[in-house]
Amino acid sequence: MSDVTLDPDTPLQLRTKPIGLVAPGAAGVTIDLHEGLEIASVAARKNKASELSMFCETLVGAALPQGPDRLHRGPVTVLGIGPGRWLFLREGSAGLADELSDALTGLASVCDQSDGYVIFEVGGPYARQMLAKGVPVDLHPDAFGPGDCAVTSIAHIGAILWQNDPAPRYEIAVFRSMADAFWHWLQISAAEFGLALGPSLSPTVETSHG
Amino acid sequence: MTAPDQIARLAPGGRIDRSRTLSFAFDGRLYHGHPGDTLASALLANGVMLVGRSFKYHRPRGIFTAGPEEPNALVELRSGARREPNTKATTVELYEGLIAQSQNRWPSLAFDAMAVNSLLAPFFGAGFYYKTFMWPPAFWEKVYEPLIRRAAGLGRASAEPDPDIYEKSHIFCDVLVAGAGPAGLAAARAAARAGARVLLCEEDFECGGRLLSETHEIDGAPALEWLANTVAELKASPRVTIMTRTSLIAAYDGNSYVALERVNDHLAVPPPHQPRQRLWKIVARQAVIATGAVERSIAFGGNDRPGIMQASALRSYVHRFAALPGKAICVFTSNDDGWRTVFELAQAGITVDAVIDPRASVEPQLQLAARQAGAQLFLGFEVIATHGGQRLSSISIASGNGQPIELACDTLAVSGGWNPALGFTSHLGARPQWSDEIAAFVPADLPPGLKVAGAAAGKLTLRQALTCGAEAGARCAEATGYTAAQSPAPTTGPEFSAQTLFWQAARTRGAAFVDFQNDVTVKDVKHAAAEGFTSAEHLKRYTTLGMATDQGKTSSIVAQGILAATLGHGMDAIAAPQARPPHVPVAIGALAGAHRGKHFRPARLTPTHRWAESEGATFIEAGAWMRAQWYAQTGETDWLATVSREVTTVRNAVGVCDVSTLGKIDIQGADAGTFLDRIYINTFSTLAVGKARYGVMLREDGFVMDDGTTSRLAPDHYFMTTTTANAARVMQHLEFCHQVLWPDLDVQMISVTEQWAQLAIAGPKARDVLTKVIDPGFDLSNAAVPFLAAAPVTVGGIAGRLFRISFSGELAYELSVPARFGAAVMRAILDAGAPFGITPYGTEALGVMRIEKGHAAGNELNGQTTARDLGLGRMMSSKKDYIGRVLAGRPALLDPARPALIGFKPVDLTERLYGGAHFIPMSAAPSPESDEGHMTSVAFSPTLGHWIGLGLLRRGPERIGERVRAYDPVRGNDTQVEVCAPVFVDPEGSRLHV
Repeated sequence: MSDVTLDPDTPLQLRTKPIGLVAPGAAGVTIDLHEGLEIASVAARKNKASELSMFCETLVGAALPQGPDRLHRGPVTVLGIGPGRWLFLREGSAGLADELSDALTGLASVCDQSDGYVIFEVGGPYARQMLAKGVPVDLHPDAFGPGDCAVTSIAHIGAILWQNDPAPRYEIAVFRSMADAFWHWLQISAAEFGLALGPSLSPTVETSHG
Repeated sequence: MTAPDQIARLAPGGRIDRSRTLSFAFDGRLYHGHPGDTLASALLANGVMLVGRSFKYHRPRGIFTAGPEEPNALVELRSGARREPNTKATTVELYEGLIAQSQNRWPSLAFDAMAVNSLLAPFFGAGFYYKTFMWPPAFWEKVYEPLIRRAAGLGRASAEPDPDIYEKSHIFCDVLVAGAGPAGLAAARAAARAGARVLLCEEDFECGGRLLSETHEIDGAPALEWLANTVAELKASPRVTIMTRTSLIAAYDGNSYVALERVNDHLAVPPPHQPRQRLWKIVARQAVIATGAVERSIAFGGNDRPGIMQASALRSYVHRFAALPGKAICVFTSNDDGWRTVFELAQAGITVDAVIDPRASVEPQLQLAARQAGAQLFLGFEVIATHGGQRLSSISIASGNGQPIELACDTLAVSGGWNPALGFTSHLGARPQWSDEIAAFVPADLPPGLKVAGAAAGKLTLRQALTCGAEAGARCAEATGYTAAQSPAPTTGPEFSAQTLFWQAARTRGAAFVDFQNDVTVKDVKHAAAEGFTSAEHLKRYTTLGMATDQGKTSSIVAQGILAATLGHGMDAIAAPQARPPHVPVAIGALAGAHRGKHFRPARLTPTHRWAESEGATFIEAGAWMRAQWYAQTGETDWLATVSREVTTVRNAVGVCDVSTLGKIDIQGADAGTFLDRIYINTFSTLAVGKARYGVMLREDGFVMDDGTTSRLAPDHYFMTTTTANAARVMQHLEFCHQVLWPDLDVQMISVTEQWAQLAIAGPKARDVLTKVIDPGFDLSNAAVPFLAAAPVTVGGIAGRLFRISFSGELAYELSVPARFGAAVMRAILDAGAPFGITPYGTEALGVMRIEKGHAAGNELNGQTTARDLGLGRMMSSKKDYIGRVLAGRPALLDPARPALIGFKPVDLTERLYGGAHFIPMSAAPSPESDEGHMTSVAFSPTLGHWIGLGLLRRGPERIGERVRAYDPVRGNDTQVEVCAPVFVDPEGSRLHV
């Protein structure tokens, strides 16, 4: 290595003070960043979808989702984001994309997207009402639950949305360059319900009051 | 000044909260009302009837309705930045501190100078504007339009920024019910009982519709009990959402609807963080339109005088709001329902003096009951004229050719019958049909998933409304997979609902208005018909009938009836005009939602944004991206000086620029090379692993779509870059080509634009800098990493990619690292480059250097240029097929006389060049015929010390050394320029290979 040491940036660049902040106990909506996830896109090679799915069973213990679904096994989450396309997510920094790329040679095209997305967690009693302000997808428990995933657009920002638990708690992945714009939309949409920040988000945004 | 308090408020009754008193001001006078009042009901309770002046003739106008169909009572609501014109007093909920002003009057409402227009009415007939302001044409822009604009328009919008916030939201349901009158409530209840997810939207602040304004009985009990029970049942259901203060404004394809919720319009100022209004996008698998009916007007002389109102409105004001608009009350009705007014008022202890009904025969029970209530009956009579100044004082009535009778009267309740509220049913293209049975248009040809119930469907009695509402709700629930139980038929009191065709009094005296808001009279309608405007749609446009903010809800049908009668047609020959969204006026703010100001669209930030901000960069929008335009140093005040310094530093030493915004597409698969050969005009399947190549792609029509550098990382793995502007379009193009044109190819592509920060390091010292940044062990020598090499590297242990490509024409690299390390690598490069005098440079310097090198960019890739035009014709492979090849061979695109890319410099080197200037021969007069192309890009070249330009000139490459004029009439420039080679700096490209 050269003497260069690189400090990673925080996902949010504009350090503005959020609006609508209340004490965590009074919050209708809680927002946090989900950091420390590795993300890799996986696209099946031609005529290899079933082989890939079988391989996935050995890898994560279940077949690949065949629709806009979320598969969650142990540390791994797999999201169906398009025909023959998935997003793999895993806690840690052990080189998920390289592992998958090696394991899936000839079966799938794999790309590291760990830096491509910023993932927000949205929860709280008013999370559903708040998200309805931008999400053109029916989030009623009849229609959308912890096994579901949606590739959609929220306030003109491309987003991948999935639900983690029935509480409800959602995760939303947006492209990194739009994370600040999305964060702005989250705040103004949550403000009327009272907003609390999770542990990963607090230090990022409260360092200054720009 | 305080007025006597609520002089016209009835002592008991009404759905107002008398325990609380609200103060409000109208035209500067202070009044009081109660929660539950509208502005209109509160004004009436205070004896105020004159509320506005009409649009064209400035006639005094009063409150005509009690709902959103109001044509007259338009006010400016609120003050300062929140001032909103054309607000219907009949829909404004009273709140403490409300401030309203009348409109369209000067100097005051009671004395209005423009009322002189009324005397000129004979000249202001139908088509007046079309005819008068036709000639001379030159007068239109300078004289007529400003004149009309000053005279026209109601109210003044605030010129200040709107201080309120607006938002949009989405809601999904099995069954949408629009309207919470008896039919809508019955529908919602039936669907909810079946288990469906129900959304009930009600425009009013209270559910109930006509049940709030009239006395009815349901199943042997007062209807208000049924109302309370039904609303309570719906509110208790977790699968029912009730939204009051919410108007459905549009129906769209795909079972989607739009509604406007006035979240906080009933407050002076919205609570913190709460929107004033919210625009809902509703997706409903089934919908029941139960929006009721609108009572239509009758045309007779002086029918616009303050004190004349809809019969149903009078009932509302008395029954719901306990406000009595007048003391001497008459009813003019052509249908049974109008008679109800007598009985409703009698219950409140008020006697109606007379009922005038043009029908000779009326249901005897009604006659008997009305007589018992003290009313004098005039059957077979019409109101032919009205009298009074700013308030009605008497009416003239007559029967046949009989002598007119004058009746003292300060309040006249008018009912021409009921029109189903058809709005939404025709938004998707259906035309209503005429029903002889109820003498009104009824919905027809409904789109799938849409049902109409109650008065909106022409079912005018309460019993019918309840029955068909419940039926519609049940059918909708079943259509969405639920099982609905049969609901027992309701019982109601006796109801009379006969309606007849009656549009105008035959012997009318004085102006008989059809459209109050746009001042269209019976005479105008007949006039238009006589001039040949015989279709309802033409009539509307010629007379402006129904085109005001009330959209002719009370009046259009009357005009159509008069038109049919004038032409001797039946009503079924009239094609009812279709309504278009929005059903009620919508503030632009509600349509914009959160997307206003700098949040109009989401801004994209580069990985080095924050760092650039801390360096004092000036930013520029590039599409949605915010890019550093230049980095002014302390003491630099002229942007050109800053940019020139950045260019000079790159050319003489080294600079670094964030180019992460370029589109980056990862392309993998066994057929990736074949795929790229078909996409690009040049060949990529033969590109060696570890090499980069410049590529150009065409659209199918043969014009250039985009360009960029694509590298081969492995035999089945390429990395494509696109221009910033076209990144998404190219991705879409690639997906289309794969999915539609060549699904047989094994190729997968995904955007990795966001994954990688990409930094360009350019200048003779670029390698020296990189050597200090990239981890040891990577040989960066010219032999190991020659021009157009692509190699994996690590920086501080982080895996990245190094591409030796150059946009500046200097020794240059682009270094890719994962985005989170972009700013850190930027800082590392600047540290390492400090001894060489490195500078960060922005898009402006980038642009100057590419112009100095003659590279085509966005201004040249304008969708109208071919590869040949851009001097890239030789890249077009003749050994393979590719998108755009065939159409690029069209004779017109091969014409050597086409404007082609070439360089320009001013003949007088001190002169400045301007982009957009047109090239004309030295001695030609400027004209479209002498136009030979235009200047696409210009820059001051600090390297050459003068302005340079690129442009598209007819036969440009053959004309080097010639002089032409760069003619720019917009900015008043006419500059002599010399045609020269487009590569101004290092034409041999020797600097690239060092």
